[in-house]
Amino acid sequence: MTTKRLSVDYLARVEGEGALDLEIEGDRVAAARLRIFEPPRLFEALLRGRGYVETPDIVARICGICPIAYQMSAAHALEDAFGIRVEGQLRALRRLIYCGEWIESHALHVVMLHAPDFLGYPDAMRMAADHRDIVRQGLEVKKVGNEVLRVLGGREIHPVNVRVGGFYRLPTRRELAGLADRLERAHELAVGLVRLVATLPFPDVERDYELVALRHPDEYPFNEGRLVSSRGIDIDIADFDTTFAERQVPHSTALHSHVRERGAYLVGPLARYGLNFDRLPAEVQALAREAGLGPRCLNPYRSIVVRALEVVFACQEALRIIAAYEPPEAAAVEVVPRAGEGIGCTEAPRGICWHRYETAADGTIRTARIVPPTSQNQPSIEADIAAVAGSVLDQPDEVIRDRCARSIRNHDPCISCSAHALRLRVRRR
Amino acid sequence: MSQAAPPRVLVVGLGNPDRGDDGVGVLLATRLADSLPDGVGLLTGGRDVLSLIDDWAGYDVMLALDAAAPMGHPGRVHRLTSSGEWPVETQAPLSGHALGLFEALALARTLHLPVPHSVVIFAIEAADLTPGAPLSPAVAAAMPGMVERVVDEVARRAART
Repeated sequence: MTTKRLSVDYLARVEGEGALDLEIEGDRVAAARLRIFEPPRLFEALLRGRGYVETPDIVARICGICPIAYQMSAAHALEDAFGIRVEGQLRALRRLIYCGEWIESHALHVVMLHAPDFLGYPDAMRMAADHRDIVRQGLEVKKVGNEVLRVLGGREIHPVNVRVGGFYRLPTRRELAGLADRLERAHELAVGLVRLVATLPFPDVERDYELVALRHPDEYPFNEGRLVSSRGIDIDIADFDTTFAERQVPHSTALHSHVRERGAYLVGPLARYGLNFDRLPAEVQALAREAGLGPRCLNPYRSIVVRALEVVFACQEALRIIAAYEPPEAAAVEVVPRAGEGIGCTEAPRGICWHRYETAADGTIRTARIVPPTSQNQPSIEADIAAVAGSVLDQPDEVIRDRCARSIRNHDPCISCSAHALRLRVRRR
Repeated sequence: MSQAAPPRVLVVGLGNPDRGDDGVGVLLATRLADSLPDGVGLLTGGRDVLSLIDDWAGYDVMLALDAAAPMGHPGRVHRLTSSGEWPVETQAPLSGHALGLFEALALARTLHLPVPHSVVIFAIEAADLTPGAPLSPAVAAAMPGMVERVVDEVARRAART
C-alpha cells in the first residue's frame, strides 16, 4: 500500500499561524490534522490575581480582529458573578459595538480572505487588480465597522471603553448620528456584496454539522441567550460543561471541544444563521432567499454568503439602535464586587466565546477559563478536510492541498485566539 | 488651478507602544503633537493599517515613523524615500494580522485609490522589543533629534510647491 503525507506548512489567509497534516493510506484518508503550533498564550493563568476592572482590557488582547467578543464575554461573566444586570440603552450600546465588530471582521474575511478562493487568486492583492470594485466595496464596509469601534470603543484595535457594568464614556447623539450616515452607505454596499458573492461558483457539498449557537427569545443573538444545537441541545450557558468537553490533542496548542455524547460540532455564522433564521428581520430573510439560501445552510463554502448577510443585518441593527438612542444617565451601572462565580457567552464573529471566572470578595480573579470559537471548530474543520481530501485523492498533491486549505478558510479560523495556526502536510501510505 | 496649493503633509506613527522599542514611532508622533504647523495631519497609532488607505487620501506627502528591526546599531535612523513603488516583501497571501504599510500602499495603488505621491519612512533601529519594556537607552536618546528632524522635514515639504 502506498503511504503519502502531504503538508501545508503555513496556511495562508487565516488569522494566525497553523499547518495542516494529511495522511493518506492507499485510497483513503487515514488522518487529517489541523496543527496549531502558535505558542500557548496562557491568558487564563495570567488573569489569576488580576483585578476585575482590568479583565476586559486584558482579554481584549487575545485578538486584534475580535477584541469586543472577549470584552463582552468577560464583562457579562463578571456581572453574572457580581449579580449585576446591564439593561436598556447600555445593553443596546453593547449590541451596537458588537455590530461594528461583526461588520469589520466579516467584511475582511469575505473580501480579502475568502473571495480569492472562489475567483481563483492566491491572495486579495492579486484579485484586486481584476476585481477592483468588490475589494473597494469590502474595504469601505470594513472601515465603517472600524468607525463604530472607534466611536464606542475609543479606538479600532483593542478598544478601551468597555467595562464591567457598561462603558467608561457614553457616545453623544451627534457622534452616533455621524455613524448613521456611514452605516446607511455600508448597508447599501453590503446588500450588493450579498448579491455578488451569491453568484460565486460553489462546490455542491453539504456537511452533517451539529450547529451550536446562542438563541434569544426575540433577537438575533449577540450577548445573550440559551445554548442550543440542531440536535436538541437547549441549555443555560452555565451548563456548558455538562454538555461539552474540552480535550487536549498532541498536534494543537488549542484545546478541542466536543459534544460529550456525540463529538464534533460547529459554531459561527452557519450555526447562528441556521438556528436563528426566524430572528432575522424580514428584509434580511428575503435577501437570503434571493441569494439562494434556505433557512439553514450546511454548505461550508456558502458561509461567505452568510457572512455577507450578517453584515447586512449588523448594519441594519446598528441603525435601529442609533435611531432609538437616548443617552442614559450613567455610563455604567454601579458595580459592587463579591466572591462568586460567573459565566458569560457571546457570539463572536466566528461563533460562541464562552468565559467563566471565579472571583474573590474584592473582585480579584481567582480562576479564569476561556473557550474561543476556533478551538471549538477544530474537530469539524478536520472532518471537513478529511472529507474533501477523500474526494480528490486521485488528483495531484497541489490540488489536494488547495482544496484542504479552502476547507479550512471556509470557517475563518482565528488561530491566534485559539492557541491556547497553518502548514499542510500530506502523507500517503 | 494655476497657483498650486502647498502640499498637504500627513505624519503617521506606526508600531506597538507595548513592545519596547517597537513603540518609538507612536511615541514620536505623540510628542510631535504640539510642534507641527496647522494643516499637517497627525496619526498617533492604535489603528488598523488598512484604515490608512482612507486616512492618507487627500495628502500629498506622508511621513511614516516606525521602528526598524535590530541590526546592531540601536537608535540609528534610516530615512527611506520613494515616489514610486515600494517592494511588497512578502508575496505571501495576506491575512488581517499580517498586513503592513507596504501592502496597504500596494493595495491602494492596485485599487486606483489616492496614495500620497511622496512617502518618507523614518525607521529607527530597535534594540529591545520585549513586551512591556520601556524604550531602550539608545532609542530614547534618538528621540529629541528625531522630533527636530521630522519638524524640519515637514517644514521643507509643506513649503515646496
